[in-house]
Amino acid sequence: MAELHIIGQIVGASGFPQSSLFCKWGIHTGGAWRLLSGLKEGQTQVDLPQTGDMAYWSHPIDLHYTTKGLQGWPKLHLQVWHQDSFGRCQLYGYGYCHVPSSPGQHTVRCATWRPLGSWQEQLAQMFVGGGPQLRSPDLIYSGADRYRLQTEAMGTVELDLGIIMRHFDKHGVEC
Amino acid sequence: MASNNPSVFLLMINGQIEGGNFPEYDDLYCKYCFVYGHDWAPTSGLEEGISQITSKSRLSPHKLIWNFPLEITFKSTNPSGWPQIVVSVYGPDTFGNDVVRGYGATHIPFSPGQHTKTIPMFVPESTSRLQKFTSWLMGRRPEYTDPKVVAQGEGREVTRVCSQGFVTLTFHIVTKDMKKLGYDGTPSDPSNTLSQASSTGLRPHE
Repeated sequence: MAELHIIGQIVGASGFPQSSLFCKWGIHTGGAWRLLSGLKEGQTQVDLPQTGDMAYWSHPIDLHYTTKGLQGWPKLHLQVWHQDSFGRCQLYGYGYCHVPSSPGQHTVRCATWRPLGSWQEQLAQMFVGGGPQLRSPDLIYSGADRYRLQTEAMGTVELDLGIIMRHFDKHGVEC
Repeated sequence: MASNNPSVFLLMINGQIEGGNFPEYDDLYCKYCFVYGHDWAPTSGLEEGISQITSKSRLSPHKLIWNFPLEITFKSTNPSGWPQIVVSVYGPDTFGNDVVRGYGATHIPFSPGQHTKTIPMFVPESTSRLQKFTSWLMGRRPEYTDPKVVAQGEGREVTRVCSQGFVTLTFHIVTKDMKKLGYDGTPSDPSNTLSQASSTGLRPHE
């Protein structure tokens, strides 16, 4: 059985309208994968940068998977939220990226999007905040029902992921 | 010396904490410590250290230089819990008290060769404005009781932080027996991986 280690960080995010941000993340895999150690979901701290636009989280990710097949390669999905000074949280973006499938250090930039409501909802969002959210987070990383959605572009999340593979070459997998 | 079927692999780290970039603060020193999983154990070198106090100079008004050596070797049976280095920076405030100016953490790179990493530093925020004012007045800013918390992912969702400043670290990494145990952590073609750490591996391609 082959093993995969994902060791890295969610570095931070930039390009969002305001910068008091936190991120909820999770990893989704197919049925052949089993998590041996590490947390496969979490939430970062709220960061308010003193200078500049980029919010830095440096949230560590350390996962150890074992797998019997290549299908369902791990996907990392993210939700970026904004917390204002009163403690209210507002969704700023959904995004997902596949975990890189070659060994070594990778810098991954994940673009995010936010669902767009009707023009009345957009007007209300400008004044009061809030806005439509997905009912179930599966839609972030699956393409099944996406054609029903209308979305707008938001900022980018930067991740630093390191991949260590074991025994993939014994099974003839080239990566 | 080398066994045919090794059960542990070694990771040797030689490097330094080069310096920092803190636009608003001066006269800073840093502390580092390594955080690692249950399967890891240091075999030689120092796990913790405190640097000298450095100031900005006329010649380089934005750079703070520590040039602080890091030398440690780990052994492990499992890459899970790969070591991280936690750096905490402290300095004086307006009243002369020693307060924390930033915490930061990063994983040690795992491919052999030279790597440079610039990590962002952040401080915990006070919960309310009144608390912020009293902590500024008394010189007791919010800080973590154990800096190792910065290297963990759990329990961070309740904290609010303010990121300020960066610290630059350089590493030279040597590993032993990782390939024999079947672990592959080096890219087959380095030009394929976009890396923010500059990596000039000295090992020949296989």
